[in-house]
Amino acid sequence: MSETLRNDVRRLIGEMSPLGSRTAQPTDRLVEDLGYDSLAVIELSLQLESQFSLKPMSQDDATAITTVGDIEELVVSSSTEAAAEIG
Amino acid sequence: MSVLVQNEAGFVPDITDEATTESPAERGSRLATSADLYRRWERQQWSVAEVNPSRDAAAWRALRPFSQEQLLGSLAELEVGEVCVTQTLGSLTDHPQTEDDRIYLCTQMADEARHVRFFQTYIEDACGVDLAEQQGRELAATADYAKVFAPELTRITSQVRIDGSPESWYRALVHYHLITEGVLAATALRTTRFLAKRLNLEALDEGLTNVTRDESRHVSFGLRAAADGVVNGYREVIADAHVEAIDAAAWVLIGPARHNPSPAIPMALASRAAQLQGSVDIGRERLLKQLRIIGMPELVESLDQLWTAGIDKALDAYEEAWDAQHPIRAAKAA
Repeated sequence: MSETLRNDVRRLIGEMSPLGSRTAQPTDRLVEDLGYDSLAVIELSLQLESQFSLKPMSQDDATAITTVGDIEELVVSSSTEAAAEIG
Repeated sequence: MSVLVQNEAGFVPDITDEATTESPAERGSRLATSADLYRRWERQQWSVAEVNPSRDAAAWRALRPFSQEQLLGSLAELEVGEVCVTQTLGSLTDHPQTEDDRIYLCTQMADEARHVRFFQTYIEDACGVDLAEQQGRELAATADYAKVFAPELTRITSQVRIDGSPESWYRALVHYHLITEGVLAATALRTTRFLAKRLNLEALDEGLTNVTRDESRHVSFGLRAAADGVVNGYREVIADAHVEAIDAAAWVLIGPARHNPSPAIPMALASRAAQLQGSVDIGRERLLKQLRIIGMPELVESLDQLWTAGIDKALDAYEEAWDAQHPIRAAKAA
């Protein structure tokens, strides 16, 4: 489940890269490697929210998002928390 | 120093970025006269047909929903604002302070009509929204400028037609040239041009650059006329008009009627809040600079406080309307 989710998140990040749709790796840096800027990050966040039902996070949840893997981790932990709340 | 934006048609000076340390007399001799602005208008002609908005249609369709929604909202506010100023400029033209002002204001009337045509053509030909159909009508109807500022501008400019007094004329000038154009339109144009460049919408960038150049002339006229009014006995009415207009201006810049989602990921929320706060800051900065330029620096502090209170009120209204915090507040709370 978690690995599928990670793959889906990674695919979406690659598709939405401002440099053009590409295959993203967990170690890719959003800004330096994939060309994300402030507008692209907002669009990505809204897309992730609509596809993966993210709940709002505090600054503590995401102090250092730099790579694709960081976003994957954020989405996985948010969805795990959401599942725990439902359960 | 002026901030200059270059395109093929020349430079676009931002009048409020100029130095503001001169005396009122020095300012009066430096600000462009109506005759200067008329000559500038003759040199700075452009056409909607040459801009050709339809060339952006493919790039528009490729945009993400968020960018489309945000840009369409901005374009609707600009279009509604241009329609309103086209409808209301006549009374200022009928009762000018000088004959040179009348000639200049006639050139501005042509500009405003061209701006309406540009925004309408862009929304229809590039964005694919038929303004006569439901989506187009709703877009215009939900613009905060239409609901909040336009009725006030219409009322105040109508008063010029009724009594033709210089007091009414200067009150209308503040609402029209200094607030609607100098604060609201100038802020919206700057932020929308930034998006147009970022999203490679070439026709929009070119058209907005042309509109900005025209608006620079209009604001120059407003500053010159208001500066003259300040030294010629109309200081009080010009100050009152600013106080009257400020709440509505702050409201329009926040735009409580338009949904502004707060991204869940903190870095995205921070970016969104910074964009929106940036727009509020541009508006505030222009307002305060204009006050200095027209020779009313004593109003800066009190109007700054009123501006902040107006922004807070609009943020409260957003929260009430959408049952959620505006991104500016959500980012502070995160």
